[in-house]
Amino acid sequence: MAAQPASIVPTISPAEMQILISRAGLVLNPGQMADLVLAWRQVAGLIAAIPQGRKLADDMALTFRLPPPADPGPAARPAANSAARPVSPAAAKGSSKRASQASQAKARPSRSNATASPPKAKAKATPSRATAAAATAKAKAKAKTPSRRPASRRR
Amino acid sequence: MTGGGPPFLSIAEAGRLIAAKKLSPVELTRAMLARIAAVDQQLNAFLLVSERQALAAARTAERAIAAGSRGPLLGIPVAYKDIYETAGVRTTAHSRILADNVPTEDAETVRRLNAAGTVMLGKLATHEFAIGGPAFDLPWPPARNPWDTRRFTGGSSSGSGAAVAAGLALGALGSDTGGSIRLPAAYCGIAGLKPTPGLVSRRGIIPLAPSLDTAGPMAWTAQDCAILLDALAGYDPLDPASVRGPPVSYARAVEAPLKGLRVGLVRRFYEHDVPGSPEVLQMMTRAAATLRGLGCRVEEASLPPVQEYNAVGRVIISAEAYALHEATLKSRLSEFSRVFRVRVLAGALIRAADYIAAQRRRTDLIAETARVFERFDVLIAPPTAGAAPLLTEQRPDDGFSRPLLTTVANVAAIPSLVVCGGFTATGLPLGLEIMGPAWADALVLRVGHQFEQAAGLRGRRPSI
Repeated sequence: MAAQPASIVPTISPAEMQILISRAGLVLNPGQMADLVLAWRQVAGLIAAIPQGRKLADDMALTFRLPPPADPGPAARPAANSAARPVSPAAAKGSSKRASQASQAKARPSRSNATASPPKAKAKATPSRATAAAATAKAKAKAKTPSRRPASRRR
Repeated sequence: MTGGGPPFLSIAEAGRLIAAKKLSPVELTRAMLARIAAVDQQLNAFLLVSERQALAAARTAERAIAAGSRGPLLGIPVAYKDIYETAGVRTTAHSRILADNVPTEDAETVRRLNAAGTVMLGKLATHEFAIGGPAFDLPWPPARNPWDTRRFTGGSSSGSGAAVAAGLALGALGSDTGGSIRLPAAYCGIAGLKPTPGLVSRRGIIPLAPSLDTAGPMAWTAQDCAILLDALAGYDPLDPASVRGPPVSYARAVEAPLKGLRVGLVRRFYEHDVPGSPEVLQMMTRAAATLRGLGCRVEEASLPPVQEYNAVGRVIISAEAYALHEATLKSRLSEFSRVFRVRVLAGALIRAADYIAAQRRRTDLIAETARVFERFDVLIAPPTAGAAPLLTEQRPDDGFSRPLLTTVANVAAIPSLVVCGGFTATGLPLGLEIMGPAWADALVLRVGHQFEQAAGLRGRRPSI
């Protein structure tokens, strides 16, 4: 995107400048006011050179990313068969469905590597009864494992 | 050794001699303090010399060596731009506002260099709060260029550039928001690295514009910068911009040859956007030839105009700097230097919509710059259009009216190293800037080191 030439500098009258300064809460003597007018003409030119006409969808550019939440530790970690998890009534009856959830949870990519590790194929998330039992056992074992300590600092 | 005794050793050379017990840290520190006493009256590089603490630290290093400790920075004398907080040692930001400020804690970077065994010689001149230009209406005069004391050092890490070039410190730390490490490195003929944002902690460094601020090493050679970066780099959970990355040995990385490297020559920057002097153009031609001689493939690269990066960078810096200093500007306006007021007050008038437009455009420029690195491993350009200007040629509004080539790397969030690329006919140094993609700090240091080795420019020091 080409910038507008910096020579297009908006002009500003002394009265307009006084309004801006009052709005900013500044009290300037005449010399300081003259310096500010000099600087403002330069800054206004720079602002005019920045393209403004962007799509609204581009506002994603200003979002920020929180770090992933820390492991809450064994005491706060929900059990594998926690009632807090949304489980359909039909699924609650069969261990294969619970195992399927465990398998899906495992396949879900973390926030940090979402683009690097796409989710596994859907077929794989519906395991057979044998693999479901194994997955259940694995999920239970994982729940007993102490939380992994954060990587130590480099120096 | 580059000649002239211990103050003119590189960090790598001094480290080897200390490790071999051929040079004592106390002897080296005394030599540095003697040179500061003899020369700094002409340069004004130091705002404060911490002689007592320096000798105590040197003795500690000496005892550690006697006890068998080793390390590339053990007993190496360094100094800090006076925006780095130092526990128990005055930190003024070269401003009346902080004339009596004595921090109780070290900046994280200072802590890391102390832990590596360095010896702090003192605090170095800067532009007031790391913005503006040389000011003559402050309690301390501006630093002067050791190659010609009538000339500007570049800034804002002005004392850091002067001290390293003149042999008053083997290494120094600076900060870089729009070029403040690399401009003094260029004008003073030394090496200075603006690292990838997030690599070096900024905790305990007085900020200028937090979304662009970086902290980095300045030294006589790129290899010395790499040695310092080995100690400085690393995750700091208390700097929100800090990033956890894999461990890297920068000092080891610089030794690898450059054969096959793709180097982009950003000709438009210095032939069209900010036209360089004839000597700068010749220096770039020679630098490209030197890199070809090292086995690099050098081709022309195309980036957006320097003016676009500058418009974005200047608006962000003005708005953020004003926001940081607003309360003091309202209550103690006349105590700031005129150049600071000119550079920062306009930030009061920047609308939120304009600031956000600058941040959004920055995101575009980061992506556009990153795409260029699909074709090239590194980019080269001059950091300045010529050699150091006279101090009397500096105007308070220079930062707005003259685009800086160095601001490209700040806005693009990439690492950038300046090394000495040559000299003018009158003996003033000219810089060469080497930029890489984000996190390629080791690569730009490697290119800088190999270039310095091939160009053979490190044997020449200011005659002061």
